Amino acid sequence: MTTLLDPDAVEATAPAAPAPDGATAASPPPTAAPSPWSARLVGLGRTAAALGGALVVFAVFMKAKGADPVAAYREMLSSVTSWKQVGEILIRGTPIILAALAVSVPARAGLINVGGEGQLVIGGVAAAGVALGLGDTASPVLVTVLMILAAALAGAAWSALAAVLRVYVDINESVTTLLMNYLAVDLMLYLIYDAWKDRNGSGQPATPALPVADRLPLVGQSRIHAGIVIALVLAVLVYVLFKKTSFGFRLAVVGGNPEAAHRAGLRVGLLLIGAMALGGALAGIGGYAQLAGTEFKLRPGFLVGYGYVGFLASWLARHKPLGVVGAALLLSAVVIGGDSLQLESNLPAASVNVLMGLLLLAVFGFSTKRKAVAA
Amino acid sequence: MSGTLLAEVLTGGVRGGTSILFAALGETICERAGVVNLGTEGNMLMGAMTGYAVASITGNTWVGVAAGAAAGGALALLHAYFVLNRRTNQLATGLVLLFLALGVTSLFGVAYVKADIDAFQPVAVPGLSSLPFLGEIFFEQTVLTYLAYALVPALWWLLFRSRWGVVLRAAGERSEVLATYGYRVKPVQYLAVVAGGCLGGLGGAQLSTAYTNAWFENMTQGRGFIAVAVVIFAGRHPIKVAGGSLLFGAALALAPALQARGYSVNQFALDAVPYLLTIVVLVLLGKRESAQPPEGLQKVFEGSAVT
Repeated sequence: MTTLLDPDAVEATAPAAPAPDGATAASPPPTAAPSPWSARLVGLGRTAAALGGALVVFAVFMKAKGADPVAAYREMLSSVTSWKQVGEILIRGTPIILAALAVSVPARAGLINVGGEGQLVIGGVAAAGVALGLGDTASPVLVTVLMILAAALAGAAWSALAAVLRVYVDINESVTTLLMNYLAVDLMLYLIYDAWKDRNGSGQPATPALPVADRLPLVGQSRIHAGIVIALVLAVLVYVLFKKTSFGFRLAVVGGNPEAAHRAGLRVGLLLIGAMALGGALAGIGGYAQLAGTEFKLRPGFLVGYGYVGFLASWLARHKPLGVVGAALLLSAVVIGGDSLQLESNLPAASVNVLMGLLLLAVFGFSTKRKAVAA
Repeated sequence: MSGTLLAEVLTGGVRGGTSILFAALGETICERAGVVNLGTEGNMLMGAMTGYAVASITGNTWVGVAAGAAAGGALALLHAYFVLNRRTNQLATGLVLLFLALGVTSLFGVAYVKADIDAFQPVAVPGLSSLPFLGEIFFEQTVLTYLAYALVPALWWLLFRSRWGVVLRAAGERSEVLATYGYRVKPVQYLAVVAGGCLGGLGGAQLSTAYTNAWFENMTQGRGFIAVAVVIFAGRHPIKVAGGSLLFGAALALAPALQARGYSVNQFALDAVPYLLTIVVLVLLGKRESAQPPEGLQKVFEGSAVT
């Protein structure tokens, strides 16, 4: 399936980009055959060394702020290794997985979707809107189905707008998706403080809580909700889409070389819009899962930051759907570990962003051996 | 500062648009050399925090502003290294650096949230400030805004009338031609990215030491992204960039001005105006010939996103 993705074709558009289909992370020129195990081991070693380097640099930062790095890392580790915390990682990881897949699908077609944040929020807003609008006039099953549909459609529409602007007006999607994040949050805040405000609530700005019947079921006796199942199933579906369907293949062709794809008769514009809309739909469902699984109401701060963490997770896993799940859960653990930084080491919660940024830079820049730039 | 709503919005627009203007001028240099830096937002954050902190420590706001510019440049140096040496994806690297900046500024900035500085005060320009209408808007500003005014024609001259500008633009348009003439492309691009970062840092420092007169986490609120958008629709031309930056400054100034007058316009609708306006202007102006990016940049914007 890589006939159109020959090294030359890929090199022509992006000199530094390895094949989207990425048989290996270790060598930029893509090959159809998997690399030998020794090369894989070297690649793994490289990644491990790069990640270790990131941890050391972050330790220096913590030291500079007067915190004890060894104790801080021990706290972070122990804060994510109990059973209860594993559940927490899955709960927080759910929207991160879906936001990350929302980046992976468009990336397959060569688009950069930085709008996961807004698409999550808009999905949550649409789901909340359906629940508020229907009230108890419909059966819980119908309400749930409609909530998921509305969330997916809202996320798809929100993201597709950026792809439409890219295709027809030639505006780079990374800028528009970014700006639309701010719009989505402003829209949600308006609804929370005004139109959908819970008038009988505690005075805290929030929408009325979702009726118990409309919430996602919990897994066993835990706080873990069925959202993680939805996220995992969707990740597998995206994997199948990429590997087994002609749509997935077309996306990869467009991502590899839009010009070649166009000449081969593919409708590049429609594929780009489709990829972006699908990504947005996944994030929208993430917004639904957060609403129906753990938050039950919209409040200021709903899903803040999750979309950006998802963006990083997708890049961390080089947009491979199953790897994305692992990366998303790993970053979810890092975020939770970051809370312990605040509690135990007295560092601001946002300092965990330093660690995430460093980890990403390490993986971006140092996990693969880059060829010297051809002149 | 009394007067019409229009005058008030425009005055606030110049004051609030100055940080965007600095950052957008910096991004103009960067993009002309063929590198996009979405981390402009991060450069601004670094500049805002460092500028404020150093101003508070030293008691000298000018030293703070210089430190802010240096901090923005330092983050941009990282961008240059990863993008030019490690060949990472430019757009994604910029965003990762924004994350890094968010974390670093909250880590080191938390100590200065309640610090005091000797903030820049508006200085009326003798003569010019008594111009009807315009005087109040443009010439009762802080010194940093006057510095930004001066930078606009200076950068125009540098880019389009100096040898330096020819080399810089060649690095972005046809780097192979530059190499043929015996220039080394990479140092030129490094210089452009770092200079752009310094201006982004300067913009951030203006925000914290001459506009809000405070530091708080994530205080740039997307101004860096707006700056990147301004650069795109202004066709990477310093004078148009100046116009665009002031327009967005005005959009940001609209909400407080209306609220101060007791208009009951929804706050969140007003907050959304700058972002919405950016997208609308991009749509209206995005496809013009003059807005087309340099050749080197087209690869970034249209190339495969997959690394």
